[in-house]
Amino acid sequence: MIEGIVTICFIGSFLAFAFGTLGLFKFPDPYTRMHGVGVGDTLGVGLMGIGLLLLSPTWILRFKLIFILVLFWIINPTMSHLIAKAAVMCGINPTKTTRMRKE
Amino acid sequence: MDKKSFILFSFLFIFWIVISGIVDLQHIIVGIFVSLLTVWFWKDLNPKLPSILSPKELLHFGRCIIMLVGYVIKSNIDVIKILLFSDLSAGSIFLELEPDIKSEWGRVLLANCITITPGTITVDFNPETNKFTVHALTRETGAALYDWRIITEIKNLETLVQRRKTPCC
Repeated sequence: MIEGIVTICFIGSFLAFAFGTLGLFKFPDPYTRMHGVGVGDTLGVGLMGIGLLLLSPTWILRFKLIFILVLFWIINPTMSHLIAKAAVMCGINPTKTTRMRKE
Repeated sequence: MDKKSFILFSFLFIFWIVISGIVDLQHIIVGIFVSLLTVWFWKDLNPKLPSILSPKELLHFGRCIIMLVGYVIKSNIDVIKILLFSDLSAGSIFLELEPDIKSEWGRVLLANCITITPGTITVDFNPETNKFTVHALTRETGAALYDWRIITEIKNLETLVQRRKTPCC
């Protein structure tokens, strides 16, 4: 039973990373590519973490994995934000179809 | 050492022990030293650290996180759908969001929530105008951000913390 769930999690994680990589090639500019990569970084890592949690033999190992997942979910958006801000500051233009909307 | 520094030290020390996985004298002494050094090095950050949440606020925060996990799964599926089936040249959007969130931790939490949800990225934040510049993958994703439930939840959490800090007479 558990092995079945773990297999589903790992296949899901693999698919998420595959779609993330596909996004990296298919999306037209750096800003949209980051959304594609985000699929692997959130769903891929999350599913991989759940799979490993279920496989872990001890609680200390599970605790470490939860710690790593939480850290990943804090660090990942921070780095994405920095990359996006750096792209804007360096004057990297989005595609021509990108619009600007004000509230 | 004040209360906040002590709590930060405890967190760092527990983190050290859990990650090292060995509890002997050498690891404990090095752990205490490194944790104290880190607390001392980041002492300027101490006043900016959020206060410890009450059980009610923790429950509210937990609800926020569960809701966020739901949004992350939903938006992952949306991004995969766009990637596979939509016209990618349809155009993304930069938008300005002005949520009424006053605390620094609330703004950081919202910025992280926006960025961790695939389809939206916080590009910039202006503390003077309280405006977030967000890049959204589609116009629909961007428009949905204006009445995102997470914003309301963070505002509610902020109100709870504010009420605890300034008790009514």
